Amino acid sequence: MINSTFKISGRQVTKLVLYGLPTVGLYALLYAFEDSLLALIAQGGWLFVVPVAIAFVISFVHGGFTAQFWDILGIKAKK
Amino acid sequence: METAVNFIDLTVLDVTYLLVVGFIGGLVSGFIGSGGAFVLTPAMMSMGVPGIVAVASNICHKFPKALVGAIKRAKYGQVDVKLGLVLGVSAEAGVLYGAHIQEGVKRSFGDAGSNLYVSLAFVVVLGLVGGYVLWDVWKTHRGGQGDAEEKTSRLARWVQSVEIPGTMVYFKSLNARVSVLFTIPIGFATGMLAATIAVGGFIGVPALHYVLGAPSLMASATELVIAFVMGLGGTIKFAWSGLVDIRLAMIILAGSLFGIQLGAIGTTYVKPGVIKVVMGTIMVLVLVSRAIEIPVYLAQLDIIQPLDPHLVALLKNLSFVVLIAALASGAAIVFAALWRGVGAHRRELAAAAAQVTSMPAAVVAPAQTQLSPLGRFERFLVATDGSEYSAGAMREALRMAKRCGARLRVVSVVSTDVEHEATVGPLLKQELSAAHDHLASMLEQANAAGVACETEVLQASSPDEAIVHAAEQAKSDLVVMGRRGRRGLARLMLGDITARVIGSAPCNVLVVPRAAEMHGKHFVVATDGSRFGDAAAVTAGKLAVLFGTPVTVVSVTQPSHSAERRAEAQQAVNRTVSFLKQEDVTATGEVPHGRPDEMIVLTATQNDADLIIMGSHGRTGIERVLLGSTTERVINQTASVVLVVKSA
Repeated sequence: MINSTFKISGRQVTKLVLYGLPTVGLYALLYAFEDSLLALIAQGGWLFVVPVAIAFVISFVHGGFTAQFWDILGIKAKK
Repeated sequence: METAVNFIDLTVLDVTYLLVVGFIGGLVSGFIGSGGAFVLTPAMMSMGVPGIVAVASNICHKFPKALVGAIKRAKYGQVDVKLGLVLGVSAEAGVLYGAHIQEGVKRSFGDAGSNLYVSLAFVVVLGLVGGYVLWDVWKTHRGGQGDAEEKTSRLARWVQSVEIPGTMVYFKSLNARVSVLFTIPIGFATGMLAATIAVGGFIGVPALHYVLGAPSLMASATELVIAFVMGLGGTIKFAWSGLVDIRLAMIILAGSLFGIQLGAIGTTYVKPGVIKVVMGTIMVLVLVSRAIEIPVYLAQLDIIQPLDPHLVALLKNLSFVVLIAALASGAAIVFAALWRGVGAHRRELAAAAAQVTSMPAAVVAPAQTQLSPLGRFERFLVATDGSEYSAGAMREALRMAKRCGARLRVVSVVSTDVEHEATVGPLLKQELSAAHDHLASMLEQANAAGVACETEVLQASSPDEAIVHAAEQAKSDLVVMGRRGRRGLARLMLGDITARVIGSAPCNVLVVPRAAEMHGKHFVVATDGSRFGDAAAVTAGKLAVLFGTPVTVVSVTQPSHSAERRAEAQQAVNRTVSFLKQEDVTATGEVPHGRPDEMIVLTATQNDADLIIMGSHGRTGIERVLLGSTTERVINQTASVVLVVKSA
């Protein structure tokens, strides 16, 4: 494609959905188990792994979603 | 809702507020490596979150954000992971020491004393460093060097020249060996500042740039690695005490990951000076914000007369507004730079396309048929997938075919593995139709440029095998492809079609990054003295004569090489330069010292080369995965076209 226009491919949409749905799911879980999670994390000690693990998982899934989001809008890095 | 102690109820307005501030903070962090999070702690406190929980939740969103930003910018080749980790470890020590000092000040002088200490640290550090950064930008701008390459500072040149045995480490961003005795204090100071004012990057990024000599783009990207290490350590410390409000952290993260991706993309469109403008502006405005509050703390410590409560409230509100303005100003500069950069880039691409399609219609007479396959350019196979990554490949294939009088065969591969076809038949038809449409437009372009061209849609389960087979069938001399730029772990796990074609192709492969253009300004040919290097040199000679282009011959030596090996490299360069001169090519030689891929790319950049020519050892499969390939790393790092020469 020599001109600067861009097209949204089916693969891009699939990737967006593949990252988007788990992101929504993870945030829904966070909302649903808000009280239990806060109570668990407030105990501290070795339970420090809980917020760290949540942060890693959400950063991976939501990070993939946000990358696809800008990509599908045609906002891509200049090579 | 009943939540545990220290954790507040959240309203929709609170969530929206955190998402927006998180987005803007992420945008700035993605761009300058840090500095986007300082507003979040006061923002959360203004919602009623206790100070210590606000700090803990802020740091818990910072490390995953920095991780995503670092991975994104590593894709653009801007991150020096080794330097980031070395500095990150010493920064952890700085964080612990900084927190210890903070606790000591608080014990001795109370909250007001602690606040005064933090504000004074802001004013002194940001005044000195922020002022220097802005002065440097102004000096460069006034000297009319805004577009010039960044120069390494005199201090950094001295730091890089100091040799302390047993402490020297090579860092790719510096392209030099530096003693860790210099990196440790820088990391330590970054950590101390992070523990004091929550933004270590205000020391880290300028120190990486001005003291160690990293380009400002790499300095800001490498700071994200330091921020990740520090953030992870800080999160563990606070989470151990049960102080992290995971809801706050993840809501901010939701906004900031959108921002950090956009900020990282923005860095690829701007001149390095813009990073300094954003950083300097934010630093000076934050300084003003903190300075406004200093009289309040001085009055609380009875150092000056007590202030009227209304005045205290006014100063605190004013300080917070200036803090928000600092972040908003940074974000506005990033947005403006991104907007201008994307617009200019799209215009460049459109102009390049117009240039190709407006070429004269006459077809150049085919080059004389050669008996040797080396340097023969008569039949090109262009592999396109219809994406923007293939745009450069078609453009340069047309340009080169005109110059060489070659014929083009343009192929587009549509995936048809059994599972794919069975489940998404209609989608396959749609893809086939799109491929035919795309090839029709390619044919039109070739006809307009006066280049003989035929097209074919290939259906195959493995695109690389299909391309290699098509090249064999068509007896092609050259395969022309785009580059996806996949690196690191992704390359190991997923492979890359271009890399696999290079490994198996029966002929030379021209790899064209999306925006690269080959006008024949300067060529760089890399040789290691082997027959693969000789094949590259012969091909370089043929092309240099065709284009009338000067050539730089480069052979890289590494720290592990013996004196004998270094002498061999010099001999290989001398031999190749002599050969090229016999062919009436203007040629010079260089024997740089460092990592081969980095030195080859650097030589190309320094000579403004638009083509790098390399031989291929042709490793495929597990051997390529285990050993890697200098050729592949050069292809991933350079912005120039790369010709991979396959010797028989």
